[in-house]
Amino acid sequence: MAETTSPKKEKLSSKQRRKLHMQGLSREERGYLRRRAAAEKVWPIFRFVILFGLSFIILYPLIYMVSCAFRERNDMSDPTVMWIPRHYTIDVIKETMRAMNFWETMKTTLLLNIGCALVQVVSCSVTGYGFARFDFKGKKLLFGIVIMMILVPMQVIALPLYTQFRFFLGSEKINLIDTMWVMYLPALTGNGIRSGLMILIFRQFFRGLPKEIEDAAYIDGCGPLRTFVQVMVPNAASAFLTVFLFSVVWYWNDYYVSMTFFTHTETVATVLTNLDSKLGAVLFNDAKIQMLEREKIVWKEAGCLLSIAPILIMYVFLQKYFTEGIERSGLVA
Amino acid sequence: MSDEKITEHIEPTASEEAEKLRGRKKKSRRSSLISYQRRKGLYGLCFISLWLVGTVIFFLIPLVKSLIYSFCNVKIKQGGIDLVWKGFSNYNSAVNSDKKFVDNLEATLIETLWKTPLIIIFSLFIAVILNQKFKGRALARAIFFLPVIIATGPVFKIISGDITSTGNTGGEQFSTMFSTDLVGELMQFLGIYGISDKMSLIISTVADNIFGIVWNSGIQILLFLAALQNIPPSAREAAQIEGATSWEFFWKITFPYVSPFILANLIFTVIDTFTNPMNTVMKRILDKKNEWAFGEASAMAWIYFLIIIGAIGLITFIVNKFIYYEVE
Repeated sequence: MAETTSPKKEKLSSKQRRKLHMQGLSREERGYLRRRAAAEKVWPIFRFVILFGLSFIILYPLIYMVSCAFRERNDMSDPTVMWIPRHYTIDVIKETMRAMNFWETMKTTLLLNIGCALVQVVSCSVTGYGFARFDFKGKKLLFGIVIMMILVPMQVIALPLYTQFRFFLGSEKINLIDTMWVMYLPALTGNGIRSGLMILIFRQFFRGLPKEIEDAAYIDGCGPLRTFVQVMVPNAASAFLTVFLFSVVWYWNDYYVSMTFFTHTETVATVLTNLDSKLGAVLFNDAKIQMLEREKIVWKEAGCLLSIAPILIMYVFLQKYFTEGIERSGLVA
Repeated sequence: MSDEKITEHIEPTASEEAEKLRGRKKKSRRSSLISYQRRKGLYGLCFISLWLVGTVIFFLIPLVKSLIYSFCNVKIKQGGIDLVWKGFSNYNSAVNSDKKFVDNLEATLIETLWKTPLIIIFSLFIAVILNQKFKGRALARAIFFLPVIIATGPVFKIISGDITSTGNTGGEQFSTMFSTDLVGELMQFLGIYGISDKMSLIISTVADNIFGIVWNSGIQILLFLAALQNIPPSAREAAQIEGATSWEFFWKITFPYVSPFILANLIFTVIDTFTNPMNTVMKRILDKKNEWAFGEASAMAWIYFLIIIGAIGLITFIVNKFIYYEVE
């Protein structure tokens, strides 16, 4: 039997073979296959249209930013210029950098961001581990406080927190306002920006790891802290990186906290929030220059571009860790 | 003699020692059992102690203080704060006489009510698409997650057209999506003239909201995508063998699997929209704060906060009834 059918099959072209196959099927099955084939052809086009359109919505502001930042201000009033500038220039970028005091601000911001993010990851992971693997009295209540930290908006506690920093530990002499400590101290103690969420992520993540690896370490006479550092942390490397990156981004983007507690220290986000007045003070002081509001947009867009460029570059290179990390980390468990 | 003595001497001591040893062993075993658990508990407390200290200083004390402020008349004076007990009058005035606050609250609630489901549906849809295999998927994912890194910052505030609060003037002409009446131009291009104002208003609000929804659903897409990757391939195969259409597949398999994440996403979205500094209620509270009316601001913040808690509790209660949990 097999010998007779196989040469026959070879002779038939694939089309004929499929026809034979189709004949063997019932009407419903054929209908199903036909519908599926049609859907498989139409769907990619449909998908492409949707994705393309929505991508455009997301990228529109960014493209516009780039387009504006490199054109001369006259181009703003030129009706023929929509996307591609007529006169290219990098003077606008240079001037905006001067107005923002860019490199100085950047240094402060980076120092603040990376430092806080590092410290915050450490404190949140330690706390998350404590909640994930140990039983103690009042654990539920304390974990309830973690959830509260996620729910309570910063604005609710901003003012009392201000007095807390102004008279630190009830002393009139210790004034932490406008020092880096206002950022570092909360981050160090697991109370920085969105710390509650990070503690939750770490807790979920550590709970998802098998208990056996820890028990093995304990039996070998490892203390809990050493177990954590030497056994758990290497296993959680991807979660650490993801939380760290998000922490950097959130600190980078924060303007509310920094504007409440800083008066002279400036980060990129606060400078951008006050960009208008800064531009006015540094660039548009000259009364001789008549400028339309519309033309000022060039500088503002340049400011926006400058202030997101660093994290955008970071995102482009580390995109994998942003997305895959979340997928693998505790939120899935 | 001496031998006897020795044996006499040794025997009791030996048995005593043995007893002692046994007793000690018993004791030590029991004590170690108790202390092991207690010790682990203590270790746990050590692990969270740093956070606990910070939380008391930077979260609990301010929280209680703000609650106290909300019942008081707060005045800032040299070197401290003056509190005069007022009872519920701050709350009373916020609800009854502050028209702006009530209006903003209502608007925010309504907006959250219709926007949240849209964001959830949209992000689930996009997640399903981004989970399929096609060329350029990595690029598409990178683009759709882009809002995650931008949407919390001041840049988003500016590009989403919230110009007045950033002190930027001439905002209408800024880079806001569709601010240049793109929709209107498009319709003119298509030859649709004289369309009623109402219609064009509807179209432009829809267009504006698409912008808001797309930009606010980065994290949600991420979470749904993570959930989708948890669907076992065997379920997919079984569905294919049974001849399920992709529509049926979505409702019978995808949806049950992601349903726990719908709750997580709902809560996240609600918190996100409620606590967003761009939100009108938040702005109103900040305005009050800037007017140095701290008591009233705190009262408003607490009313608002209680509403958030209530909303989240309600959502959790309702959604939990429809969720499918995989029993393991």
